[in-house]
Amino acid sequence: MSEYSVELKGIGQIYKNLLKEDTIALQDINLQIKAGEFISIIGPSGCGKSTLLRIVGNLDKAASGTIDYRDGANQQMGFVFQDSVLLPWKNVRQNADFPLVIQNKRTPENEKKLDDLLELAGLTEFKDALPRELSGGMKQRVSIVRALSYDAPLMLMDEPFGALDALTRDHLNEELLKIWSKTQKTIIFVTHSIEEAVFLSDRVVVMSARPGRIKEIVSIDMPRPRGNDTRNAPAFTEYSKYLRGLIG
Amino acid sequence: MKKNRKLRKALAGIAEYALSIGTFLLIWWIYVAIKMPPTYILPAPTDVWKSLVKLFASGEVYPHLWTTTYEVILGFLIGALIGVALGYLFSKVRFLHDMFMPYLIFMQTAPKIALVPLFIVWFGIGLVSKVVLIISMVLFPVQAGMMLGLDSIPADVGNLMKVLKATKWQIFSRVEMQYSLPALFSGLKVGIVQAVIGAIVAEWMSGKQGLGYILTYASSTYNTSMLLAGIVVTILLGIFTYEVINVLEQRLLNWHTSQQA
Repeated sequence: MSEYSVELKGIGQIYKNLLKEDTIALQDINLQIKAGEFISIIGPSGCGKSTLLRIVGNLDKAASGTIDYRDGANQQMGFVFQDSVLLPWKNVRQNADFPLVIQNKRTPENEKKLDDLLELAGLTEFKDALPRELSGGMKQRVSIVRALSYDAPLMLMDEPFGALDALTRDHLNEELLKIWSKTQKTIIFVTHSIEEAVFLSDRVVVMSARPGRIKEIVSIDMPRPRGNDTRNAPAFTEYSKYLRGLIG
Repeated sequence: MKKNRKLRKALAGIAEYALSIGTFLLIWWIYVAIKMPPTYILPAPTDVWKSLVKLFASGEVYPHLWTTTYEVILGFLIGALIGVALGYLFSKVRFLHDMFMPYLIFMQTAPKIALVPLFIVWFGIGLVSKVVLIISMVLFPVQAGMMLGLDSIPADVGNLMKVLKATKWQIFSRVEMQYSLPALFSGLKVGIVQAVIGAIVAEWMSGKQGLGYILTYASSTYNTSMLLAGIVVTILLGIFTYEVINVLEQRLLNWHTSQQA
């Protein structure tokens, strides 16, 4: 048990290689994430940010270190991948409902909550549509609603908007903040976009490559709710400039 | 409106079919009328039609048709089931794949006709040897299709199921099976055609039952119009069983791009 939503202690990851030297993907990562916090991880490609997220999500095992979850080892998590991974034979409603089916949680109350989430994400009209009928942005909304459907307190997002055009991305960022403030989730968000990280986060974790480690953690002190005014504010530019300098 | 267009499209398809078959039959008929070959070499299409009508009118074809259909269905179902199971096992347990795949390829490349005498020695001239031959022909394409289907599932689907803490059975029944269906069905379509061929070949070789037996009987008595009529029945059986699989595919895969006309 931990007072934090997640606490990483000395996480390290090494990829063994028979012919070359071992690759140190992550080295001594220590991070405390408070409940309800929105935290972004940025860094150059190959810095291990996705690897770190996969370790937090129990998809990979770390070579060293421990992770404490607020709810213990059986922590429920939602994961949003870069690709929406919707099941192509299920419509929007069924895809979003899928975790409830798998976890045997299809109570009338949860179904009602799911419909509210679909409404919040602007998907109500598209409930019966199949994934192939949706745009990339729409698919990713469904994917986010799916990750929220079973009410896991911790959300992990691995460059969810990385494949979308800039306008759609800006729009979805605002939608995500709206959903986040309504649902009170803890969100760990991996991205390679500095502006996206500044716009969304309470704190931005900057990582450096080879070996992947935390270079600095920057708190973003900008008022919420954030919108277009946030992007136009001088502080936004300052933060972006500072982070760009850190990544180099 | 939409329904109307669909109907017109279907009718146009049937018309094209009829025209093509009609032209073929006409050329055949003209050739026989002009050249007048002996009937044991090439009878006129009208003679074949008469034989066909006689086969059905006298009722003698039904037990044979039933025997072959029964063998095909039984062999296909067992073969497909084993194919799906093996495909799943081979795709999940790599060392089983590496150990047993050579045997399967070996079995597949051996000419099937050469195996029939062996099957007759082992399993007798009855139903079993025929069904075993059909199984051996259906198994491989189905297993290959299943493996292709499973191997082409995006990696993040597995990750999603892991995050959701799904059981192995849930992963198989709710995700893997559906994802494999498109590739599996192309295997099943090859399999059902192979099953009919297998049944006919096995019946040639042994026994006194089935459409294959009608063919050998007609051939050995130089009754060529009956032989051709028997071939027509065989083709009809092949088309019918193939269409059953086809309709099933359209039903189950209406979400897939291959089914968007």
